[in-house]
Amino acid sequence: MALVFESKPDRPPPRDETGLAVWVRRNLFRDVPNALMTLLGFYIAYVVVAAVLDWAIFNAVWEADTRRECLDAVGRSGACWPGVVEWLPNLVYGLYPKDAVWRINLGFLALVLWLIPLWMPRVKSKVAVGLTAVTLYPFLASYFFLGGDKGIVWSALISLGLSGLVWVWATTISERVTGQSIAELLGKTLAGGDNDVLQRRAVRGAGLVLFLAAYGLVSTWSLAEVRTQFWGGLFLTLVISGIGITFSLPAGILLALGRRSNLPVIAVLSTLFIELFRSVPLITILFMFNTMLPLFMPEGMEVNQLARAIVAVCLFAAAYMAEVIRGGLQAIPKGQYEAAASLGLGYWQTTTQVVLPQALKIMIPTIVGNFIGLFKDTTLVSIIGLFDLMNMARAVGEDTDWLGLFIEPFFVVSLTYFVFCFAMSSYSIRLEEKLSAGRER
Amino acid sequence: MRLLTLASCAAVVGFTAPSFAQETLETVRERGMLNCQVGLPTPGFYALADDGTWSGLDVDLCRAVSTAIFGDPDMVEYQSVTSAVRFTEMQNGASDMLSRTTTWTAVRDTQLGLDFTTVGFYDGQGFLVPADSGIESALDLVGATVCVLTGTTTELNLADYSRANDLDITTVTNENVNVLVETYLGGGCDAYTNDRSGLAARRSAFPDPSAHVFLPETISKEPLGPVVREGDAAWRDLVTWTIFGIINAEELGVTSGNVMEMAANPPNPNIARLLGTEGNIGEELGLEPDFMVDVIAAIGNYGEIYERHIGINTPVGIPREGTLNALWSEGGIIYAPPFR
Repeated sequence: MALVFESKPDRPPPRDETGLAVWVRRNLFRDVPNALMTLLGFYIAYVVVAAVLDWAIFNAVWEADTRRECLDAVGRSGACWPGVVEWLPNLVYGLYPKDAVWRINLGFLALVLWLIPLWMPRVKSKVAVGLTAVTLYPFLASYFFLGGDKGIVWSALISLGLSGLVWVWATTISERVTGQSIAELLGKTLAGGDNDVLQRRAVRGAGLVLFLAAYGLVSTWSLAEVRTQFWGGLFLTLVISGIGITFSLPAGILLALGRRSNLPVIAVLSTLFIELFRSVPLITILFMFNTMLPLFMPEGMEVNQLARAIVAVCLFAAAYMAEVIRGGLQAIPKGQYEAAASLGLGYWQTTTQVVLPQALKIMIPTIVGNFIGLFKDTTLVSIIGLFDLMNMARAVGEDTDWLGLFIEPFFVVSLTYFVFCFAMSSYSIRLEEKLSAGRER
Repeated sequence: MRLLTLASCAAVVGFTAPSFAQETLETVRERGMLNCQVGLPTPGFYALADDGTWSGLDVDLCRAVSTAIFGDPDMVEYQSVTSAVRFTEMQNGASDMLSRTTTWTAVRDTQLGLDFTTVGFYDGQGFLVPADSGIESALDLVGATVCVLTGTTTELNLADYSRANDLDITTVTNENVNVLVETYLGGGCDAYTNDRSGLAARRSAFPDPSAHVFLPETISKEPLGPVVREGDAAWRDLVTWTIFGIINAEELGVTSGNVMEMAANPPNPNIARLLGTEGNIGEELGLEPDFMVDVIAAIGNYGEIYERHIGINTPVGIPREGTLNALWSEGGIIYAPPFR
């Protein structure tokens, strides 16, 4: 008869060691100085919160036609929200024609749709979904946002974007229902049996049919052009920082690898690029791209101002990201490379299978910190005349009806920035926990 | 190509404009849009409404030029940039004209590769102080702290005035008017100085406007007017004479209301020449002969523009009568050469 060791269940802790009262006594009122500090802390928090609430809610004016009415009603003791409410559409969409903002909404809805599968359990093709979101979604969104005359090439790209979205959902549903990717499922249903070649052909054919159908659909769309001068507010901030963020990560990885490369030309070029863009303030780069670049361009050639700003932001962000990634790469012990080499892995295999996954994981806090920094840095584009969220908030106080109203819009803008940055930060923490599951005991 | 780049570098460094071989008018026509530079939204002169439309005295000058060229006041792309880059945006060709309360000074006219066209508004720098401060003249501001916008002639004028009168003024500067006003209202400075046009509008938005008074001194001359790039005389003529046309229209009594009637049946030769029924001024400028008819019908004459945006019945409320901005025939110095 085997002797099985079974531990007794733990006894509950003594009564005077648990409960709220104990926690409070231990953490807040351990001794006299500690108690005093606690009370002082509570008092300061109370004063600040009460003052903000008084101003923002209890004393605030919610209905008025001009700031003068607010001032006559409560003076400076309460916020004057009607001005912000009236400007809210502009704070969100900029000067985008109000009858066309559904296009922006639809564009962002498409992004949300594209990303939802990433959070769904039992979806296996998450990498492909993420990759298509980065590479194909922009084409679809660009047409929603910009509109206007689309040539054959652009039409094809938009159709590619549309077919991408359809594929993402087809594969998501297929994987959740049958556990097979849509390609497998289609191949088996269309070609039947186990003939690989036929299956592959069937899948390709289906892809082509999807693309052609999308192209047919896209060619019937026609949206009026909304030039980028009318883009603004939160929308513009998201566009600039979104492109900056999605571009900076892959570009940063390439630059970091380039800088550590053994090939002298690549190493020198990467180092030059990184050092050049990292040692110049973003505002200078924006000025350079905005005001100097047109001087060097052939006569009559005008590159869109927003495009110039985005390129500037992207290059700057890539240079910073490169150094962050390089830090991560250097944290990988040499043994990992040697182990990979002893397994016979080449450079790219070592990098993509062994080094990068580990490096990126430990770099998550810094990478996300960089993203958050970039998101906030985009406020600098207001200097070169783009009406991002910040500049739009400033415009509220210059509206003749709401002259001088600037604390309220900035309050709202701060909250908006907080929400976005906090969301990014919380997501990164979740991601860290999820990815470090292997390290926990 | 390298020469061109070198030349451009020299142009940037030396602040002289590169020569844009293509005529500006031609470029504008090709583009189908007039790139008109205004500043960050400012009431009365270039105000941005919550529906996204620009309006104001300076904006109307852009609209007038747009109407002169295209017959449509809305073919304008407004470029709103900070004062710091306004001249660079002209030099690099991004803007075709700059119409944003820019003071005409010798240095700006001679050293930036830019040309001032004419004056659209005569301003001057004044001071605002709390009524209970006991300060009655700018000369009382000895050792005072004064709030002033940075990067403008206002800041330089204040420094000059302080030095000339031994006032030893300390400045508090910011680029955002609202921050300055807030500092001033919070007691962060003893006086707030700006162009008088700006002061009046700001005071109207104070919690209690009557608690603040203007000091009698006007310490500077601020002739504000549109600017074009140097080296394109035809374009400069076009902008200048469109504005002269608007001023002449007021002098001759042509308004947006009666311009069609007058064009059909000009009461006198001056009006006939202005409206293009006689002479060929329009063609010489590269425009339609009756371009002023469109301009006045769409925008109005100088007096109409003034009263619409900054006159006493607007929130900005700058009185016109008896000031420099009255017509020359009514005691002011708004004067345009004859249209003949």
